[in-house]
Amino acid sequence: MPNTGLAERIRRAGIRMRIKPVADSAWLGRTALEHPYHAGAIHKSWRNSLVPYLFVAPFLLFFLTLFLGPAVYSLYLSFCRYAGYGSIEWVGWQNYLAIWQYPVFWTEIRNVLFYWIAHAVPMMALAFGLAVLVNSTLVKYKNLFKPLIFTPQIVATVAAALIFKNFFGTQYGILNRVLGVEIPWLSDLNLARWVVVALLVWRGLGYWFVIFLAGLTSINPEILEAAMVDGATSWQRLVYQTIPLMRNSFLFAFVVDGVVTLRLFAEPNVLVGKAGALASVEAAPILNMVIENIQTARFGLAAATGWTLFLLIAILSWLQFRLFQQRGES
Amino acid sequence: MTAGMKRPSGAAAQPDRSGALRKGLVYLVLIWACAVAIYPMIMMIINSFKSDREMNINPAGAPIQWTLESYQKVFQFHNGLWLNLVNSIIISLVSTVAAVFLCALAAYAFAKYTFWARDAMFALLLATFMVPPEIIIPGQYIFFARLHWINTLQIQIFPTITPVLGLFFIRQYMLGIPDEMLEAARVDGAGHFATFWRIMVPVSAPVLGAYAILHFLSVWNAYTWPVLVATKAEVQPIMVMLPQMVDPVVGFLPVWGTIMAGATLATIPILVVFIAFQDKFMSSVVVGAVKE
Repeated sequence: MPNTGLAERIRRAGIRMRIKPVADSAWLGRTALEHPYHAGAIHKSWRNSLVPYLFVAPFLLFFLTLFLGPAVYSLYLSFCRYAGYGSIEWVGWQNYLAIWQYPVFWTEIRNVLFYWIAHAVPMMALAFGLAVLVNSTLVKYKNLFKPLIFTPQIVATVAAALIFKNFFGTQYGILNRVLGVEIPWLSDLNLARWVVVALLVWRGLGYWFVIFLAGLTSINPEILEAAMVDGATSWQRLVYQTIPLMRNSFLFAFVVDGVVTLRLFAEPNVLVGKAGALASVEAAPILNMVIENIQTARFGLAAATGWTLFLLIAILSWLQFRLFQQRGES
Repeated sequence: MTAGMKRPSGAAAQPDRSGALRKGLVYLVLIWACAVAIYPMIMMIINSFKSDREMNINPAGAPIQWTLESYQKVFQFHNGLWLNLVNSIIISLVSTVAAVFLCALAAYAFAKYTFWARDAMFALLLATFMVPPEIIIPGQYIFFARLHWINTLQIQIFPTITPVLGLFFIRQYMLGIPDEMLEAARVDGAGHFATFWRIMVPVSAPVLGAYAILHFLSVWNAYTWPVLVATKAEVQPIMVMLPQMVDPVVGFLPVWGTIMAGATLATIPILVVFIAFQDKFMSSVVVGAVKE
């Protein structure tokens, strides 16, 4: 299922929603059963029939054939050599070993980690700073600032990348034309990586801004008022109260954003790649290895890369889960 | 930092002047942030009114000559960029209708019926959430290649019609619908599906609508999977076509005017929805992120 940008973050938001009941009751089903309307839902004569299975069947059938089946098959493929035709040859861990010895793999891993750290830190700081400002008593037109800062989120990912590509163009770019220079923003890949970071910050800022703003408004005002009575200044309240209260939220946001960035694809490729081609290795995300291996019909390698990526994501997700539990306790 | 710590004493002494100064600074920062946020989008729209030629001479300023040439080109370029726009619309709409319908059906059973392995099944479905969709791409690709579906519209639709997230969202909402309503329908002699269709669907309309918007956006924005499986221009969605558009004569040079016109056309539907449902839009995006 292709998911990028906004939708991807929504997906992660969904994950956060469901982890809560798990953390609470150790078993997801329990929260469902505890719901007031749930247990006695349907009249007795309707229970224990085939009917509910008929309702669930269309979704499940499609899910099994279109998602779960291919997922299991991908896992199997990752231990095989297969060119899309002919026989499938079992090769054990060879694909994984080949990938891990392949320098491109490590370059692309380095790239996504760079994209993550380099964009998440300033983005979160800016998003939180703006949220504090908009939330402060000094500011009136909150309902005007909020949607405006959120705007980049509604620009399609590819469209946003193309706008940046136009802006940072060497010969015909807006920035170079205004400055009267010819800096190779996108053809010098060391610079290009920073342009990708700029795009990620620009596009992601609004999302985290809205989230942090919601977090700030949910802080119990009594806590802050108590400090105010004690004579704390707004700066002191921010540093000694608000930020510690939101510390876990920051870590959490950082990790969630990491999972999204590991799966980056459209932004660097559209921005750095030439006319629809994939980006050069020096700026390419790890997902490029999956796509390139499929395009060259090396399905085993593609699958093994995918599952390696899954391993990385699983580690991050585990971290996220742990943070969430801590957050639930505090 | 030190300035920030010192400011309070000054503020106590001269509350009015320092307060006004601080307020002005805050507004300045916010206005600057808003300007940075919307500037690229405004440039996109402005540049879509320049011709491709003018974009190479004057990429930064206002158009010397306002023209609809780029929009005209959208309808002529290659086989017609508008075809790709239509592809995007077909793919996103069909996927959204199918996904919301399938999710609503299943969510109804998960929320309102008791059946064997219900909770285990639901938990398992949610657990697959941890599997990023990209990982299954190799398996999916081979599966669809065997069906001879590479370079079709349906290959871009089918993998998107069973979103577990949608199932979860809709079920959560349906849990909150009182059983009495269903009982009433049952007493009136409505069957299982009639109860679903005439009671459950209308009552769940808000969540179905909200999820439909989210789903539409995610398919509209899709890039990775379409790039891989749609290599022929006539089946590509606009997001895949846009980055490829280069000058037919020179070759490598992007036709920025036409691209910006296409990007504007691809953004405007989302913009309209956003302006119409601002608050719902933003709150559904951040739903559950901070609320506890």
